[in-house]
Amino acid sequence: MELNVNGRSYTLDVPAEERLLWVLRDWLGLTGTKYGCGVGICGACTVHINGAAVRSCLMPLAAVSGAEIRTIEGLAERDGGGELTLHPVQQAFIDHQVPQCGWCMSGQIMQAVSFLERNPLPSEEETVRAMSGNYCRCGCYVRILQAVQQAAGRAAGEEAAT
Amino acid sequence: MTQEQSRNQAVEAQADSTGANNGEEGAEGAESAPLGKRRWRLSRRGFLIGMGAAGASLAVGAYFGRPALHLYMAENLAASEPAGSSFMQLDSDPPLWLEVLEDSRIRLSVVKVEMGQGVHTSIAQIAVEELGISWADLVVAQADTTSGLVDGFGTGGSLSVAASYDPLRKAAAGLRSLLQREAAAELGVSEAALRVEGRGFVVADGPAARADFYSLAAALSSWDFPEEEQLALKPADEFTVIGQPVARVDVPDKVTGQAVYGYDMRMPEMLYGAVARPPTLEATLLNASPGEAEAIEGVEAFVIDVENGFAGVAARSRSAAWAAVNSMETEWDEGHLWQQEEIDALIEPAGEGGVTIQREGNAEAALGKGTTVLATYYTPFAVQAPLEAPAALADFQDGQVRVWVSTQFQERAKGQIAEALGVETETVQVVPTYLGGGFGSKLDTRVAIEAARLSKAAGAPVHVGWDRVEAMHNGYLRPPTKNVLSGALDESGRIIAVEHLQGSSDVAFSFLPGFLSLVMGADFGATIAARVEYDVPNRTVTAWRRTLPVWTGWWRGLGLFPNTFAVESFIDELAAAAGADPLQFRLDHLPESRAGARMRAVLEAVAELSDWGRPPAAGRARGIACHMSNTMVAEVAEISVDETTGEISVHELACAVDCGLVVNPDGAKAQIEGNVMWGVGSTLIEQAYVKDGRLELNNFESYPLLTMREAPNVRSVLVDTGIKTPYGMGEPPIGPVGAAVANAFTAATGRRIRTLPMTPARVLEALA
Repeated sequence: MELNVNGRSYTLDVPAEERLLWVLRDWLGLTGTKYGCGVGICGACTVHINGAAVRSCLMPLAAVSGAEIRTIEGLAERDGGGELTLHPVQQAFIDHQVPQCGWCMSGQIMQAVSFLERNPLPSEEETVRAMSGNYCRCGCYVRILQAVQQAAGRAAGEEAAT
Repeated sequence: MTQEQSRNQAVEAQADSTGANNGEEGAEGAESAPLGKRRWRLSRRGFLIGMGAAGASLAVGAYFGRPALHLYMAENLAASEPAGSSFMQLDSDPPLWLEVLEDSRIRLSVVKVEMGQGVHTSIAQIAVEELGISWADLVVAQADTTSGLVDGFGTGGSLSVAASYDPLRKAAAGLRSLLQREAAAELGVSEAALRVEGRGFVVADGPAARADFYSLAAALSSWDFPEEEQLALKPADEFTVIGQPVARVDVPDKVTGQAVYGYDMRMPEMLYGAVARPPTLEATLLNASPGEAEAIEGVEAFVIDVENGFAGVAARSRSAAWAAVNSMETEWDEGHLWQQEEIDALIEPAGEGGVTIQREGNAEAALGKGTTVLATYYTPFAVQAPLEAPAALADFQDGQVRVWVSTQFQERAKGQIAEALGVETETVQVVPTYLGGGFGSKLDTRVAIEAARLSKAAGAPVHVGWDRVEAMHNGYLRPPTKNVLSGALDESGRIIAVEHLQGSSDVAFSFLPGFLSLVMGADFGATIAARVEYDVPNRTVTAWRRTLPVWTGWWRGLGLFPNTFAVESFIDELAAAAGADPLQFRLDHLPESRAGARMRAVLEAVAELSDWGRPPAAGRARGIACHMSNTMVAEVAEISVDETTGEISVHELACAVDCGLVVNPDGAKAQIEGNVMWGVGSTLIEQAYVKDGRLELNNFESYPLLTMREAPNVRSVLVDTGIKTPYGMGEPPIGPVGAAVANAFTAATGRRIRTLPMTPARVLEALA
């Protein structure tokens, strides 16, 4: 089975029905993608498949072979000297000191990045709608909203430009 | 500042192996039993001074002193603490160490675990402040159970900063003083002429001489720890680090996926474990065998121990382990098939066994006079549901076992693993990882035992990670609570009597030695905030503790949320009967005391923040509630009610808190925000119940959590009333949320809901 994750190719001997979440975590060691519920409700396992945010806990390996998969580990860019440049969404999550326990944060960030790639200047209402499928048990919702709005280049609470 | 955590720390701690010691308190200069490679002594004040661990030189350890613990415990244990109770004794090993590293940075090792509350940052702020060093020159390390640090309490109770503050400041000031004394001798100047610069001392206005911490520590000629009065603790008005919104040390790794939790632990050649779970609340295992699981590819080992109710399997993949455990043949005695109605009948606060926890005046007599109000409130079972389910990796080799686990109580895990495996506790090393949420649930340590048993049987490292449904069914829950309140008002509208009858189950007692529950009677966890703190001449609070067929225990805030929902809803009902404004009614009944004055300041602050004096926008209504303890909280909820669908929307939640000295104001505000979300979730959504002998719970579809869509905007203010030490912050703000929303609902509709959660069905019923 061929898998393309964060620009790297893997050849794996894994049953085709194995879920992408466990392949990432247990076979590839990419534990930044988290398990929360296994049934697609909580969003902790969100990754990008060909740019779209999907729940990796529901995704059989066979369905994503050949696709471009991006995880939280592939979001920041590392230059030749090893220096890390965070994605603007990651930086906004630091600026607003969003995470508490942090378990849901990879999923929150992957969801937000995919959303902003499709809707770069969302209204607050659009952001709330886009982020309401991701649980945060610590209750960081006020800050998640602020951070996503900041990453979109506008202060939280501000209305959409048009 | 750097932080050492999990994997790296595990390697380091291995080299830092230390044995038990028999330290005695109060023996100045007495040499104690060797602490592994450390040579140390105990000062009269209870500080440990000795040689550091690998890579370190001088080390200073400090206890969380009895007085600090008492800040929290005294309120709850009150007079019922039995004399000589071992629960309150100091542990023989200290819970924190400061060490001078070879590169002259200072390492702070802490037992308190980081579960999102920011404790590693707050504790570091305290140390940096008193050491006088820069943020970059401190290393914070999570201690494991072999590093010579012991925490007999676990991480919880919103206690970590409150308990560490005083001893850590003194330990840090003492370490600095020891080094400064040595530097003065070496540089030939007075101690007063020295100041900290970088990782050492320089002469303030003198020659360009300097002495690094490490060389000073290595050469230290005197190990006399300064007497308390000689410790030059920094005055609060000179603080530059404490009180600042310092960025959390764990945040960068949490936005890049690099933070390592118990569920993330990996080792080469590791296997995955799964354990059979009882099908009902009272189920006991009668028989178990591998059955068809043996034929599943990848299965490596079984552990079947019917006597102890254990049947588990280890396999080469997680899916194989889960498939195998479902294919094992197990036979259970299901026991009585309980129904929720039977449980609700058990917690009725009446009949035998009530323990009076507060009695002033004669409420019974006074209740016959004036205007009487009677109301009954109910809060259901609730689950902690941290998003990281219980998980541990165990590696049993050559009679030694190492376990990495998301735990709030590594010391308890160590003892229980040793007992389960039948080995000496010294052979067990428990390494706490980051926690993907705890909220009280991760004082349970079974997952660590399961991993250890399976690793021993399989002869390989085994990781056990519960799935969501296992986590929902097999932890302990917040017990249901029933509160019956009666009150009487005189002609002027003053409260002359309140009687509060409270029925619930075990919260703290699930985890305390049996003798304590016998002595104390009322579970202080279940009865937190059940007392009537207002100035009422006749007040009685009586609590019934019933043992339920459902395991109940720690949940964020313990009884704080259910009891505050009841008492603060009732205060509004009394205010309504008196025809008074709910805020003014509360202010009018505050006690004439320091606590009353602090509560007043906090109530006034929240009134200003929420614009209480002006009417809300059309269609909206406000409710207020508060909580009085060491930490004072007042909250105003602004809601609207859709009378067609029955949905309540909480738009704004204003919160004012006085938690004493604030170490990290941004962290404190984050705790307020999180607690508010918990409170709103519990008020509007969360409930668990029993049906046909089992919890009617499956995955999140049957126990949904609050999402951003239902989340209120939270505005908060930290009120300074001059308290010089920190109080708890991780739980108190959850208390008033339920009552603030319920009181707002009454303001909006004229109806009252006394049963949580306030679901659309209950709202429509109330409006009918």
